[in-house]
Order: sequence, then C-alpha cells, then structure tokens
Amino acid sequence: MKIDSSLPLEYSTEENRLKIFGFWIFLGAEIALFATLFATYFVLVEGTGNGPSGEELFKVPTLMLQTIFLLTSSFTIGLGINAMRLGKQKAMLSFFVITLILGLGFLGVEIYEFVEYVHEGATIQTSAFLSSLFTLLGTHGAHVTLGLFWGTFIILQTKKRGFTPETTNKAFIFSLYWHFLDVVWIFIFSFVYLKGMM
Amino acid sequence: MKELFPRGQVMGFAFSLVLTLVALSVIVFDLSLKMGVIVLLVTAFMQAALQLVMFMHAGESEDKASIYTNVYYGLFVALVTIFGTMLTMIWGYQ
Repeated sequence: MKIDSSLPLEYSTEENRLKIFGFWIFLGAEIALFATLFATYFVLVEGTGNGPSGEELFKVPTLMLQTIFLLTSSFTIGLGINAMRLGKQKAMLSFFVITLILGLGFLGVEIYEFVEYVHEGATIQTSAFLSSLFTLLGTHGAHVTLGLFWGTFIILQTKKRGFTPETTNKAFIFSLYWHFLDVVWIFIFSFVYLKGMM
Repeated sequence: MKELFPRGQVMGFAFSLVLTLVALSVIVFDLSLKMGVIVLLVTAFMQAALQLVMFMHAGESEDKASIYTNVYYGLFVALVTIFGTMLTMIWGYQ
C-alpha cells in the first residue's frame, strides 16, 4: 500500500481516493432518488381530498427547530473533519458526538411532528398529498436514522483504532453523507414547508 | 482552540443561517407565489452550493473534474425528472 503523506490521511492511498469518488457517485444516485420523491410530491400537493392541506398542517417553530438542528450538525461535522486533519482525535470525536446528538434532536422533532399530524387526522392514507409528504419526509428521516447508527460505529472504531488511512477515510465519507442529508433538508425546508405555508 | 474553528467554515455557517432567515422571509412578508418561489430557488441553491464547496470539499482532490461532472449530471437528471413530471402530469393539461 502506497501512502502519500502530502495528502490528508483519508486520501492517502489510491483505494481511499477511489472510495471517496465512489461515494460521490452514490450521492448522484441519491439525488435522483430524492428528485423522484419531490416530483411525486409536487404533482400530488393539491390532492388534499378531505384531509388538511400543508398550510393548515405546517408549523414554523418545529420547522425552524429541525432546520437549526440539521444545519448546525452539518457545521459541527465539518469541524470534526477539520480536527481530524489536524490529528486531534479528542476534538474530532467530540464534534462527531455533538453532530449525532443534533441529528437525534432533529429526528426527535420530526417524530413529534409526525405524531401531531396523525393526531390531527393526517395519516399517510388520508390523501394523496399526505401519502407523498410522508414518503418524502420519511425517506429523508430514514436516511438520518441510518446516519445515526453509521456515525456511532465510526466513533467507536476511531476510538478503538485511532486515526489510520481506513478510519479517517470512513469518517470523511460519513461526513459527505451527513452534509448531503442537510442539502436534501434545505430543499424540503424551502419547497415543501415554506412554499406550502406561503 | 482557534485552529479548531477555521474562519472559512464559521463564516460559511453564519452565511447559511442568514440564507435560512432570508428564505423564511417569504412567509413573513406577503410575497406573490412567483416572487416567493424565486427567492426560495436562489436561497436553496446557494445553500446547496455552500455545502458542496465549503463543507464537502468537492474540489480538493485530483478527482475534482469527475466529482463535479457527476454532481452536475445528478442535478441534470433531478431537474429533468421534476420538470418533466410537472410537464406531463400538470402543466401539459392547463
């Protein structure tokens, strides 16, 4: 294994570099996945039937709470990668733990919101609008949930093995995934919630 | 401590919070639907670009050209999917 020490550890071997590139291709496919869900939502958004519309359902406080949680977590994981490149393991792990706590906060608010919706009589079966809404939000939420488990394992492994070309590569790829979830949320925030409340 | 909070990333985070507030303004001020959507499009794509360049380090390795090609291709597929669906399912009937 050839290690190029002029590059950050996570890029230091050819295999590492290619893994990062490969993950970008996966994210390209994820963009396509979410595009189909957004397209479905935009087509069905008027199909509220006897159920509530987005305007009646969406609330600003929970929306802002979720957005702040996810935006901040995207910032802290960026700081985690920065600390990793400085070789500061303790700082990197702290930033990753903060990131996951913020992610958990986001998920908590989202679940609370879903429960509220159902109490108001807005279930996934109520209308075409709600089916597409829950599918879009739920797919994003499922990605965040997976990320929480993934991130936990990254933290445990880094703690056990320290910074190696393998562990730093995995941590960096996880950070790409996490930032991507924030990007998707920005579009949900803008074109589902804000547009729905306008 | 200072090196743990690089200026660029802190500024990027501050900027993303500002963009969020600007986006929020579409429901605070009574904008027309068209105007509001334009504001949202600008803020959302600026946010996405900020994440990509500032936080995901899209341009730092020798794969820069391939990574950007891949992202643009993904974006192209997304836009064709969304606008193509709108055209065939909604706009085409109006």
